[in-house]
Amino acid sequence: MSAAILTKYLSDSRRSLTGWAVGTAVVGMVYASTYPSQRENTANLPEALRDGLNIDQTAAGYLHASVFGVILPLLAMIYGVTAGTRAVAAEEEAGRLDLLLAHPVTRTQVAVERFGALVAGAFGIAFLVWLGLLVIRNGAELTSVTPVEFLAQCLNLALLAVFFGALALGLGAAVGSRTVVLVTCAVIGVVSYTVHTFAGQLGADWLAHVSPLHYYIGGEPLRHGFQWADVLVLLVTSGLFFGLGVRRFNQRDINS
Amino acid sequence: MENVIELRELTKTYGTRRGLIDLSLDVRQGEVFGYLGPNGAGKSTTIRLLLDLIRPTSGRASVLGLRPREDGVELRRRVGYLAGDFVCDGRQNVRSYLRFLGALRGGVPQARIDELAERLGLDQSTRIKKLSKGNRQKVGLVQAFMHTPELLVLDEPSSGLDPLVQQTFLDMVAEARAGGQTVFMSSHIMSEVEAVADRVGIIRDGRLVALDTVSNLRTGAVRDIEVTFASPVPPTAFAALPGADRLQLDAAGTTLTGQVSGSPDALIKALARHTVTSLRATEPALEELFHSYYAGAEAAPRTETARAV
Repeated sequence: MSAAILTKYLSDSRRSLTGWAVGTAVVGMVYASTYPSQRENTANLPEALRDGLNIDQTAAGYLHASVFGVILPLLAMIYGVTAGTRAVAAEEEAGRLDLLLAHPVTRTQVAVERFGALVAGAFGIAFLVWLGLLVIRNGAELTSVTPVEFLAQCLNLALLAVFFGALALGLGAAVGSRTVVLVTCAVIGVVSYTVHTFAGQLGADWLAHVSPLHYYIGGEPLRHGFQWADVLVLLVTSGLFFGLGVRRFNQRDINS
Repeated sequence: MENVIELRELTKTYGTRRGLIDLSLDVRQGEVFGYLGPNGAGKSTTIRLLLDLIRPTSGRASVLGLRPREDGVELRRRVGYLAGDFVCDGRQNVRSYLRFLGALRGGVPQARIDELAERLGLDQSTRIKKLSKGNRQKVGLVQAFMHTPELLVLDEPSSGLDPLVQQTFLDMVAEARAGGQTVFMSSHIMSEVEAVADRVGIIRDGRLVALDTVSNLRTGAVRDIEVTFASPVPPTAFAALPGADRLQLDAAGTTLTGQVSGSPDALIKALARHTVTSLRATEPALEELFHSYYAGAEAAPRTETARAV
């Protein structure tokens, strides 16, 4: 199986991908480097209030709550959904899938190669974020988090992007409609975030387990390093979405 | 003679809408087959079924002796396809785009691509995005022809091409046939099909309504005639002829005008009883025939729900 489709896809999207990766890394760096000032701002608050607001003064706590808790996963989810939608549904709606599928390739092959490109992009983004954080680690007084712990969290960041990418690509492959994919993914994204954030306050901790964000950050890789069980959950669910989508893709008509 | 395409009772429904109904059709090895019909008649549906882009509701299709669903990859390797609305994308130029498509086929000699592009007047250094509609169509033609496939499936191939390039395209089709390739091309323009096709199938509302050689179709085609007589003839002189309702004798009884379809033999024999001073008959135009098959196609209800209303 030649990798022509994967290579072409990556080269077609190299500009947007590079832009997204650099942007994500810069946002991560800028946010993370405000740690010293944030710590000072919150240091004056009474401890009871800090506890009440869930403010954790450690570097890991700050990164967990802000950089890796909100902005980076959001960017990763957007990347995953965008890339996953584009891979099949958007291409199909634009009528470009016909040409590719009229060549001696299988639908599975097209989906696999494009998913491969998506995964490569996700890991590229996460790798750049990791490098960016290593650069500012000393200056921003984040040395209490080891490079390996950063790497563990960045791996989960990549897998979160892959999860939403697989969801969008699989759904797109199954239904072939961009709108359906975008709406469904947006809903799932918002629900995931809400459930992850408020499950504890609702007194339903078990609910958090249905959110992919739980497996992304719930194990606190910034404190405890690699969380292989969580990694596995993200991998398996991604594979499941992708596999089911491709299965349906092989059965249905391609829209003209 | 071996059949390159065999369709048997092929039916495709989209929900309640009928795409194709019981289509049976053979395309023989080495012929150019013209597939005609108005927009929405089912031409593209047929073609997309051949390439396994869509699946039939019932019936079966075989292409080059292969089944589209099961042997799709092998089938598509041996077929060149140009879509009805050929779209391509990307930032790269035409040359690298065609090389990419060639790579999907395990590589195509650059010389062959260059030759086709040059012939069609396609500048390979242009970016795909910047191409005009006509030039994009040329890219479509090059990618369909470049690997010299056994079967060319072309959906509205000359749309967007200027007349000069259209002629080049027709030459390419004729050469493909000379080289033993089979060509299945759809069109809604009779004249371009008439120019190269050996046989023609006309489809309307998902059904095959005519299937014949171009020359046979021409025999069945309509001629306009005008005959003048030396002296008035009785008003009922031609009333007994088949198709008499399409002939009119003027009030003076000296000029007969109208249309004759098929053989003009009966009319000639009837005319022979009178003194004819002039006779004019047009070349049978397939266009007319085609229009007679088209007539009402636009108005015809195509959905079950529409029929029920």
